[in-house]
Amino acid sequence: MACTHDHSCEDHDCSSNWSLYKHIDLSKVTALNEANPGSVKSVFKAWEERLNSSGEHLESNEGDPELLVYIPFTSDVKIKSISVVGGADGTSPSKLRVFINRDGIDFSDAQSMQPVQEWDLVENLQGVLEYQTRYSKFQSVANITLHFPESFGGDTTQIHYIGFKGEATQLKRDVATIVYEITPNPSDHKTRAETGGGLSHVE
Amino acid sequence: MVLEATMICIDNSEWMRNGDYSPSRFQAQADAVSLICGAKTQSNPENTVGILTMAGKGVRVLATPTSDLGKILSCMHGLEMGGETNLAAGILIAQLALKHRQNKNQQQRIIVFAGSPIKHERKALEIIGKKLKKNSVALDIVNFGEEEDGKPEKLEALLGSVNNNDTSHMVHVPPGQNALSDVLISTPVFTGDGEGGSGFAAAAAAAAAAGGVSDFDFGVDPNIDPELALALRVSMEEERARQEAAAKKAAEEAQPQSESQNATSTATEKVSDPMDEDDLLKQAVALSMNIPGSDSSAGDAQMSEATNDDQELALALQMSMQDGSKDSSAPSDVSKVLGDQSFMSSILSSLPGVDPNDPNVKDLLASLLGQSEPQEKKDEDEQPKDDK
Repeated sequence: MACTHDHSCEDHDCSSNWSLYKHIDLSKVTALNEANPGSVKSVFKAWEERLNSSGEHLESNEGDPELLVYIPFTSDVKIKSISVVGGADGTSPSKLRVFINRDGIDFSDAQSMQPVQEWDLVENLQGVLEYQTRYSKFQSVANITLHFPESFGGDTTQIHYIGFKGEATQLKRDVATIVYEITPNPSDHKTRAETGGGLSHVE
Repeated sequence: MVLEATMICIDNSEWMRNGDYSPSRFQAQADAVSLICGAKTQSNPENTVGILTMAGKGVRVLATPTSDLGKILSCMHGLEMGGETNLAAGILIAQLALKHRQNKNQQQRIIVFAGSPIKHERKALEIIGKKLKKNSVALDIVNFGEEEDGKPEKLEALLGSVNNNDTSHMVHVPPGQNALSDVLISTPVFTGDGEGGSGFAAAAAAAAAAGGVSDFDFGVDPNIDPELALALRVSMEEERARQEAAAKKAAEEAQPQSESQNATSTATEKVSDPMDEDDLLKQAVALSMNIPGSDSSAGDAQMSEATNDDQELALALQMSMQDGSKDSSAPSDVSKVLGDQSFMSSILSSLPGVDPNDPNVKDLLASLLGQSEPQEKKDEDEQPKDDK
């Protein structure tokens, strides 16, 4: 389901919405079937730069327009909508299928698994289209995998920008350190209230 | 130190019975496989290696990717040869095994030993290569054993379709003197794109050197036995300098300059040809007998007095025959040797801890020269008297 902006886009207003790119763990972003290893990291940028195609962009290998992008976040996020800017001359992706919180997906998995949601994309060279998600399914996303199975007839698929709109929670999926005590020792739990008399409490 | 999961595809077809690699193709391959497993697990402790065989009754996975080196080596025992290799199925099943690796952060790599003729078409191999590249699996091919007409081209096509930024390699090992594993040690198959495995490779090269085929001077690795290596090297240089000095005296005395430069340059250059240990020992013994009381000769050579005198006498006779009239006793011979400034400096420079430019050393040399000169003058005075 695509919607277009019905107001002249004030950059700062929109750009603050599209700020989930700051919560992407860029070092762990990977893509399969990309022509230049590592070029996938260039598609995550600020909203203002979404049309800036002078730098690197993500391109698939010759003759094979399929692309698979794995994006981990630094904390759980809620995604409201996704925006994709493709390339010209039929190199824009025509379909998008996403998978949530699964890592190690490769092409055979992606083709056989049922995606969480899929969209038919339109050529979006101006970057004004966004695709809304079924928000209830995207409430705690630690990582997301985008599968672009085909393009609009071009030999390769080019992607210049991928943006996420939503909000970040503070929840992280990290290892938790927990200390177990058989009998609590109050001296181990000194708090701010230790100068006064009375009971101290464990925070 | 790349984190990697590797699947090794072994060729155990009938073609591996051939003996053109010693002891047999299969045994050479097994040695190479165990070395690769060791190198991979050593370069990064979290690396995993798995093994599968491509021939026999069908493709069979012997070990899924694991970091337990003992398990991998034990499954190499008792392998039987037979049947024909199915290269395509082997590679695809290796890719499947890698897909189900436990640690998804590991890079995927397949190492194929292609020892028998390839019955697949080039097109089919290219399609497989593209599939590997799409799933970012690297491929190393070891081309050895059977040499068939289209084989190198097919393997080149496969490598070309897989290769992404030079992560995949192909090595061609022809049959011959060197073992398969020795040739592989210096290739990117071991060293892993130029970093990581080099420490293991150096240690393995040292082990190979001790076995006879030596890349080090004198067949002894300086890391393993520095004292023996140093003693051999010093005695070699002294022997060379000695021979140069003797040759110089036998030839023209009018050209001391160029030959002394020769002596110093040969004394300092290293032996690049591998030397047989027996020859070296003989030279070391001969040298230690030629220079009596020299501290730098090989310490474990025993000298006998009788042969010592004989060597000196023989040289002295040779010199007296050349010069005719000069006194030919041993002391003046030694003094002539001492008197040759350039020869002395080359000897001294080869001695550890002695600096020929040190003023003390220079004084000592001058005093030795001073002793030999009056002796020579006395000899020359005697000659004219004798002639008269």
